[in-house]
Amino acid sequence: MKNGFAVFFAVVVVLGGSWLGFVVAPALQLGKAKQATILNSTDTWPQQRTGEATLGLQIYRANGCAACHTEQIRQDGVAAEVTLTGLGNSKPDDLKAFVHSLFVLPELAKLTNDLATTLKDWKGDLPTTILTTGDKAVADAFADRLKAAGAKSETRVVATGADLPRWGVRRSVAADYLYDFPVQLGGLRVGPDLANVGARLPDANWQLLHLYAPKLSVTNSAMPSFKFLFDVRKMGSAPASDALNLPPAFAPAAGYEVVPKLEAKELVAYLLSLRADAPLYEAPFSPVTSAKP
Amino acid sequence: MSEEPSSCPAPTNAEPTATRSTAPMWIVVTTLALLFLGFVFFDKHSGWFDAKIYAPYSSAEQLEAFQPKSGAAAAAAQGKKVYEAVCGICHGVDGMGKPGQAPPLSGSEWVLAKGINRLAHIPLAGVSGTLMVEGKEWNLNMAAMGAALPDADLAAVLTYMRNAWGNKAGEVTADDIKKIRSEMKGGQPMSGEQMMKMPE
Repeated sequence: MKNGFAVFFAVVVVLGGSWLGFVVAPALQLGKAKQATILNSTDTWPQQRTGEATLGLQIYRANGCAACHTEQIRQDGVAAEVTLTGLGNSKPDDLKAFVHSLFVLPELAKLTNDLATTLKDWKGDLPTTILTTGDKAVADAFADRLKAAGAKSETRVVATGADLPRWGVRRSVAADYLYDFPVQLGGLRVGPDLANVGARLPDANWQLLHLYAPKLSVTNSAMPSFKFLFDVRKMGSAPASDALNLPPAFAPAAGYEVVPKLEAKELVAYLLSLRADAPLYEAPFSPVTSAKP
Repeated sequence: MSEEPSSCPAPTNAEPTATRSTAPMWIVVTTLALLFLGFVFFDKHSGWFDAKIYAPYSSAEQLEAFQPKSGAAAAAAQGKKVYEAVCGICHGVDGMGKPGQAPPLSGSEWVLAKGINRLAHIPLAGVSGTLMVEGKEWNLNMAAMGAALPDADLAAVLTYMRNAWGNKAGEVTADDIKKIRSEMKGGQPMSGEQMMKMPE
């Protein structure tokens, strides 16, 4: 073949280039990934799954859940929110006047409209979020000015995007998948994203009912019923402790009960282990803490 | 009169062959320029191929700026961190204490007191002699474990104790600790009885 070497060389370059880019580079970046540390904490993330949940991943895989569900939350941006938590000695009107006096600052130029709208209807109730901006430095400078005026404020970091806060509090990061094998990323969202379902819907009983009869809790659900993960059997003298508590429309014939098979319990254990709700260095946000005592 | 076109190629029986020609210079230049711009883009948007930096963050500085460092969550986390490093060794990470070693903090009347004066004196001055905790007498010495801690850390750890393990009591601020530290006389370790004589 004429130019055989040139063709061979071109093929090696193209395949080798893709291999370097798609295999070697990610392996160098993340191949030795270890547990991450949760922000402002000594706890590590994620925790190894329980044996039951690890088996549940294989049930998830076998039933093709990833065909309709993704496990990846996307984030479009990030915002810093300044929340007013205390007024100090000043009255709400004093603070309003003070904030209005800051409108001449060049860094607040684009935010004056928002600030004015927020403050217009504000009657002094606390805590209240008064400023939201994509520039952390502006938020910090604004908080410093509030502090100088005697007011107390807290700057919170919030992840933003269409997936948030519907399905989670932050984007999915590489560390979330550390113990998944194989990773069930999914590519199509017929159903909701499940990356944070363990935190969104933490009730194991709800999950079992939803697997048995999806239309029970979500009337227009497109999810097929996974009845084959349950046994419908004759009831003994009393219902089994793990029998589903079904409403009449979905209940089996009288004298029968629905009990989850081992597979259903493992699948639910896996679903409840899916969480993406800890703040990490690569996906920071301020968690919501309960009100102070 | 007809003329033969002079540029008409001479008929030939030879097979056509592919020949190699040099790539035009503009393609080489454009490719190099695109490569350069591509690397500049990656450098600008991924913190020089850092695994932790990708959209919506474009640089290490930006990601660093968005780390939440203040607020109630950060203070509580800092308190937990200091507690586990300094206090938890004897009092237990669950606040239950250790028999014969340290009294429990969970549900302790010293921790849950309305004022924090006596509570703050324990880590600041230390304890020597008997101390009643939840109706049980402890006769142990505690060094002034908190004397070397910064005001903010001590305040955070006391706030953590007062709100962890089912405890529910008010917040301690760095200013409170500063005040108590400045008013402290001598700072000798005290027994429970001596502390009871102090204002709450």
